[in-house]
Amino acid sequence: MLQIELLSKSFDKGKNFALKDVSFHLKQGDICAIVGESGSGKTTLARLIAGLETPDQGSIRIDGNMVSSTGRLVPPEKRKVGLVFQDYALFPHLSLMQNVVYGISKDKNKNERAEEILKLVGLKELKDRYPYELSGGQQQRVALARALAPNPSLLILDEPFSNLDSMLRMQLRNEIFEIVKNTEVTAIFVTHDTQDALAVADEILILQNGRLIQKDEAANLYTKPKSIYVASLFGNTIQLSSELQSAFKCPLKEDCCAAVRNENFAINTECEHVTHARVLKKTFLGPDTRLLLRLENGQQLTVLTKDKIVEDGIIIGFNSTDVLQFTS
Amino acid sequence: MKQAGSKNLFSINNRLKRLKRDTNKWAILTLVLLGFIALPVISIGIKLFSGPGETWGHILENLLLDYIGNSLFLVFMCGFMVVFLGVSTSWLVTRFEFPFRKQLEWLLILPLAIPSYIVAYSYAGILDYGGSLELILRVFGLEFSRIDIMNKTGLAFVLGISLFPYVYVSSRAFFLNQANNLMEASKMLGVGEIKSFFKLILPLARPAIVAGLILVLMEVLNDYGAARYFGVNTFTTGIFRSWFSLAEPETAVYLSALLISIVFGLILLEKFQRRKIQFSNNRSGSAGIQRRTVSKGLQCVISCAVWLPVLLGFLIPVAQLIYWGWLTYDNVFSSSFLILSFQSFGIAFLTALITVTVAIALIYFSKWSRSNSLKNIAKLGVLGYAIPGAVVAIGIMIPTIFIDTWLIKIVEALFQIQPGLIISGTLIALIYAYVVRFLAVAFNPIEATALKVSDSIPDSSRILGVGNIKTFFKIDFPLIKTGILSAFILVFTDVIKELPLTLILKPFQVNTLAVKAYEYASDEMVMKAAIPSLLIILTVMLPIIFLNRLLVK
Amino acid sequence: MKQLIFLIALLGFSACKNNTEKTGSSSQEQANVVNVYTHRHYSSDQELFDLFEKNTGIQVNVINASADELIQKMKIEGAHSPADVLITVDAGRLTRAKELNLLQPVNSELLKKTIAPHLRDPEDYWFGLTKRARILVYAKDRMEEANLSTYEDLAGEKWKGKILIRSSGNIYNQSLLASLIVNNGEAGAKKWAQAIVNNMARAPKGNDRDQVKALVAGEGEVAVVNTYYIGNMLNSESPEEVKAAKAIGVFFPNQKGRGAHINISGAGVARYAPNRENAIHLIEFLISREAQEIFANTNYEYPVNPEVQPAALLQSWGEFREDSLLLSKLGENNKNAVMIFDEAGWK
Repeated sequence: MLQIELLSKSFDKGKNFALKDVSFHLKQGDICAIVGESGSGKTTLARLIAGLETPDQGSIRIDGNMVSSTGRLVPPEKRKVGLVFQDYALFPHLSLMQNVVYGISKDKNKNERAEEILKLVGLKELKDRYPYELSGGQQQRVALARALAPNPSLLILDEPFSNLDSMLRMQLRNEIFEIVKNTEVTAIFVTHDTQDALAVADEILILQNGRLIQKDEAANLYTKPKSIYVASLFGNTIQLSSELQSAFKCPLKEDCCAAVRNENFAINTECEHVTHARVLKKTFLGPDTRLLLRLENGQQLTVLTKDKIVEDGIIIGFNSTDVLQFTS
Repeated sequence: MKQAGSKNLFSINNRLKRLKRDTNKWAILTLVLLGFIALPVISIGIKLFSGPGETWGHILENLLLDYIGNSLFLVFMCGFMVVFLGVSTSWLVTRFEFPFRKQLEWLLILPLAIPSYIVAYSYAGILDYGGSLELILRVFGLEFSRIDIMNKTGLAFVLGISLFPYVYVSSRAFFLNQANNLMEASKMLGVGEIKSFFKLILPLARPAIVAGLILVLMEVLNDYGAARYFGVNTFTTGIFRSWFSLAEPETAVYLSALLISIVFGLILLEKFQRRKIQFSNNRSGSAGIQRRTVSKGLQCVISCAVWLPVLLGFLIPVAQLIYWGWLTYDNVFSSSFLILSFQSFGIAFLTALITVTVAIALIYFSKWSRSNSLKNIAKLGVLGYAIPGAVVAIGIMIPTIFIDTWLIKIVEALFQIQPGLIISGTLIALIYAYVVRFLAVAFNPIEATALKVSDSIPDSSRILGVGNIKTFFKIDFPLIKTGILSAFILVFTDVIKELPLTLILKPFQVNTLAVKAYEYASDEMVMKAAIPSLLIILTVMLPIIFLNRLLVK
Repeated sequence: MKQLIFLIALLGFSACKNNTEKTGSSSQEQANVVNVYTHRHYSSDQELFDLFEKNTGIQVNVINASADELIQKMKIEGAHSPADVLITVDAGRLTRAKELNLLQPVNSELLKKTIAPHLRDPEDYWFGLTKRARILVYAKDRMEEANLSTYEDLAGEKWKGKILIRSSGNIYNQSLLASLIVNNGEAGAKKWAQAIVNNMARAPKGNDRDQVKALVAGEGEVAVVNTYYIGNMLNSESPEEVKAAKAIGVFFPNQKGRGAHINISGAGVARYAPNRENAIHLIEFLISREAQEIFANTNYEYPVNPEVQPAALLQSWGEFREDSLLLSKLGENNKNAVMIFDEAGWK
């Protein structure tokens, strides 16, 4: 459905790459999340697919049609891609109905279609309102309705929830992707939030500094991250430095780097690798407590724990199956 | 494999390939448009290569220092004056409540309605021996001591007082949008009104102020009528002198090039300064302006401060013109003035329409071309404003006559008849010249409003399957129409007032009010110029008042 | 409303356009028009053109601009220039036009017979239409006429801080200096210009009328102005100007020598005139009795046609001896004059 080969883009004539040699494929109906920090190139990737930027190299095919290559560039209006912008980009001078009809104005029964899609997002009653009269969540849903109205072959959502507060965000996220799944459109969801990605995507792409680090199902990413960066996207991860390795008596091969997720550290329980530690400082963080520890060999270590009561002297450790190993 | 691919990603070969791919019709159209705009400049600029004329040395030795000195003096004096008047008045009318504030808001723009050379004539008339001031003083039995305004300080005053509204308008737009939030924030931090203004508002308003200031300075450097009457030698009078009195276009071109580099230098200086501080543009409009109500005494002071520039820049000169108009009405006024006003209006209207269209095309075509370098080059289209009108006129004639000769040959060969000049000497050439000259006036306000529209809005239209042009009309146009309208009105106003270019390029039978006023004034019948001048003011006043309502809304 | 405005503008434009098309197409058919490029913008001229139109049926199309700009325009327009007649307010510009090959000789007995030889081009490229003298004026209540004698005298010590004269960008001053170059040589002219700059009552500014007003107000003792401005001031709508003009005395300098410097306003037929015959008709008309009367009486210029008397006012100033210098010499020395002004620091 979507095939991307060796896509590269630089905004400063090759000094820095916003995107470098990115290749991946998507199947019809996939919902894929692109995860990365700001500056990782995820928005550039989305804009390249939509046709809003011109790549320096590489090709993009949608539905088997070459839409972008070194020699050819299909303009965005001919790509049949839907895009929901971070700032929604609703047309401020048009009513909701007019916004949604905008992309399907050539259809015969455009009004029925628009009403149907507004109903889908639950805003049919507000169809004559203007964007500034709506809440952020409502605007979000209009943006989605507008993007879906022309039946795009591919839907891209660029950080759609970043402007919303966290309560609304969860609720809306589920609602929105319920709608997306029902329409069976292939979707790309660009986000910096791994939780969002895990919640909705079949497959996740991790971008770092313009490079595609890993593309995999959510479970695989968690269990077999290819780098400590990927691992840490799913929560606090502690890298096993050589000092920590010696403290926990868990030596590793030279050219290999390893880490343990915070949640895999166990306090006062049987583990393969343990050490004594003194609690230097406790910070209450609601569900978790942050502990600053001094280990036997003098190393300091910060971990989070769900245990509410912790004595000053503890035993801390982890199992060797929980050690994540990456070739550096 | 991958490595090899990316290594020569920016090799000449790959770049050319991409260039071919990315060269779209928009890029080509942008270049074509720019070519048209640049044609007159280039046709004059070519003369730079033929070396300066034989009098260049003479000018260098005797005059250049004077030109540079006077022009810089004017630039600094006027610059200081317009910033002071423009910023203070706009601040007062946006921050304080006082009697007649609403009326003053548009009265402050009206000095723009009077061509600055007319202001110069009327001030000279007021302060002259036997002038209005002396007559008034005589009524009160007071002794008249003459204030000599006909020197460079006087010229700076006249230009400053008639041009400050450019800064007033641009800084007021900023104050209306931003000042309230900023002042509130500043006051929460316990900083007083005056200190907040200087520490916070002024630096933030700088881009807006400078945008207006640059227009003023270009007008100042370009002024011919007032400078010549006051006997001040500036670059522009020098250009006229060497081109026409000494009959050496080459030397004039050298002077023009120098003048343009001064203007360019000013623009670059500002850009460079500004680059250090990037202000994020607060796009959300403020929640209405809250004006302070102050004590009666302070209201009085504020009123005086705001009335003064209106009085000096508009009411006094107009009063003088009305007096002259009253004296000469019987001899001058005839029904032909109606036709004249009509023609002026028609030409200005049409020109404004075309100029605004070209400005929009240039801004949007370069944007659609998705080439950053083109976007920057497109900005060069505004340089025509820095070139004296007469020089633009000559610059237009050279290529149009060239095209004409060519056309004439074709027509002669095809139809065996002898046509006259086809393009030059018609309205086409005149309007073409106006467009080149006034593109900047249209370009800036349109670009400013276009920048306020987030790119994602037209982008989403594209993604929804609507092409560029249709997107423009359905989405961009409704969102930037205030900018377009202000641009339209500003160009309209400038064209009605324009003089040297019109004189040279106007076709037979076509006449404008400004030309008529000049015909009288240039032959020392200044008083008789009052009627056409008043008609100019009348024609320009209504759109300006309309513009104000647009900007305040 | 908007549509209405637009419609009006459109109508206005099409009206203008029709006009230009009419003139454009008619000129090629050698129809009854004559295209005039003129530096003169007096009401007398419009009156004359209207009269000519009425008498002959030849339509007069006018472009008004400064002579310098008109010459540039003709130069660029070249062989296709629509200009038939070029009218300027001084001989220097006509000479320049001739030198630039923009004029053509006219063989008209009538013109040669009527106009004195020094008031026209020796090779018949241009002809004077009216004369004006550059004279000295003084305040009658403060000074005796006997103090004045020649232009050269103004360079003397006794005039220090007393001379009022406009800027050197003005063509009348340039021509005056050109005549001094011819009469006294370049070095003499330069010395003169420097001395005048030293003797000026104030930096040069304003126009001729302003010099008169400054003189009356006491800023200086003598002003150099053109004759017809005095006539126009005496008949001004402004009572103050009339008052000022009445307070001054008129003096024609160099009467014992070569005579007062005069200049002409003149006309020539354009080299590529599409309507040559009409152009000659027009010039001949302009020196006719009928036309010269109008020149003389509405704008206070001296007629070139000896049959016509100057305006009564001018006659009251008496006859005067005029410098019979070939006026074409003014043009030849114009550039020189401008450069001398610059070197002398005459603004």
